[in-house]
Amino acid sequence: MVLEATMICIDNSEWMRNGDYSPSRFQAQADAVNLICGAKTQSNPENTVGVLTMAGKGVRVLVTPTSDLGKILACMHGLEIGGDMNLAAGIQVAQLALKHRQNKKQQQRIIVFAGSPVKHEKKVLEMIGRKLKKNSVALDIVNFGEEDEGKTEKLEALLAAVNNNDTSHIVHVPAGTNALSDVLISTPIFTGNGEGGSGFAAAAAAAAAGGVSGFEFGVDPNLDPELALALRVSMEEERARQEAAAKKAAEEASKQEKGGEQQASSQDATMTERASASASEAETKTNDMMDDENALLQQALAMSMDDPAINQEAKDTDMSEAASDDPELALALQLSVADSSKDSSSQSDMSKLLADQSFVSSILASLPGVDPNDPSVKDLLASMQNQSEQKNDDKKPPSEEEKK
Amino acid sequence: MSGESASAIQKGQVDLLDFIDWSGVECLNQSSTHSLPNALKQGYREDDGLHLDSDADEQLLLYIPFTQVIKLHSILVKGPEEEGPKTVKLFSNKEHMGFSNVNDYPPSDMAVLTPDNLKGKPVLVKYVKFQNVRSLTIFIEDNQTGSEITQVQKIMLYGST
Repeated sequence: MVLEATMICIDNSEWMRNGDYSPSRFQAQADAVNLICGAKTQSNPENTVGVLTMAGKGVRVLVTPTSDLGKILACMHGLEIGGDMNLAAGIQVAQLALKHRQNKKQQQRIIVFAGSPVKHEKKVLEMIGRKLKKNSVALDIVNFGEEDEGKTEKLEALLAAVNNNDTSHIVHVPAGTNALSDVLISTPIFTGNGEGGSGFAAAAAAAAAGGVSGFEFGVDPNLDPELALALRVSMEEERARQEAAAKKAAEEASKQEKGGEQQASSQDATMTERASASASEAETKTNDMMDDENALLQQALAMSMDDPAINQEAKDTDMSEAASDDPELALALQLSVADSSKDSSSQSDMSKLLADQSFVSSILASLPGVDPNDPSVKDLLASMQNQSEQKNDDKKPPSEEEKK
Repeated sequence: MSGESASAIQKGQVDLLDFIDWSGVECLNQSSTHSLPNALKQGYREDDGLHLDSDADEQLLLYIPFTQVIKLHSILVKGPEEEGPKTVKLFSNKEHMGFSNVNDYPPSDMAVLTPDNLKGKPVLVKYVKFQNVRSLTIFIEDNQTGSEITQVQKIMLYGST
């Protein structure tokens, strides 16, 4: 995203009538210029781009460096082919145009489309290159079109004279089925010195590659970061939930009631690890519905801790809704309901055991994926303890009722 | 070196290093490996092995803005006998000059450095022209022997605020 002022030097000489690049050399060049302008202005909104023609009656500046993409594209209309390209004069005028840029903080860059033969001597080009380097102007050369002897050599010499720390590049584009713009997209001219590319270039490259983007979830993070993030988060949540379900299934085999209870809390813990603070809040306020699954699990846990008789009717409907969505969740809930309704005396024993923090933390430590030192797990334990203490009074009369 | 240990070469003058606005310091035609901080920054400039080199040819154009308005009293340029700078032009308060327009303006002061200067003798500038300096441009036009590359080991600016 480097701040840059760019001058593009277009070759509109007679050599551009040739059709070896489809539809014509000139049209291919124009497309490439449009793409470059778009990429530059998108990568940094303060970037400016200007255009000049090197052939015709003489070197003519069509538009001085501006960030207005519309103006740049408009001036590409109605360009006429004719005359002979004057590379040296073109580069020098481009340098002058850059010198008079409004924002002096911008880096200077010239992009030259060299389609016709180069009639200057190598020495002249090297001198020009050195002058550009002295004034810290970078140069990108697109060598296409005519391939006469010496042209490549001269252009490489020019590049060597200008190049300062790899800020300047040359690209040779042979005639063929690939469009000029497509070839350029993958070059450093577009991707800007390998910074990682602007989102525009990356998206354009993806589109050019045939429509199937290589991005995760088929969404370009540059184009739609929120969607990409949401997709990623829900993927992770699903994975974690499946992990927890698998864990729960394993636990059920070894531990019975206790295992089930613990699983509800450990599943809860894995959920809370990702949805940090909300879980501990939900613990104390059972009506907190920030996360549906979370809340339901909280209710399941609360039920196993609190009075099953009081809460059961209210929670049963919620649970059945949840159960229809998620069979594993249903299983967990059923277990906790079954456990609580089965034996309330063992229930109070259970809660006492759970209240014993050291016992709980030793159980939790044995479970993979639950770190007893995790603050959210600690919060959970603390609030569980509080709740069990608070509701001890409530428990005793209702549990007596239930025993009847 | 006389006076440098006290960092006040003459009565009342201080090393202006602290007033340099580093975010705006620029140097045209410097070599990428041997760059301006080697000659200006504390510590780097004391090391004679670390020096500022020119790149494409022997000229150098330094632009040094200051964080506040200063008065420039003298300047010390240290360099090797052969590749050290010879003709040095100073411009006060001219921003963003390039090599092409540097000779369009008359310099605020000009100095031809002698080998003595290159060893550490400071050059006194025309004090009256540098009373209100927000930025200083130093144009090194050529070097002692006309070699391809100009080398500068240390640049120190003395003045007051």
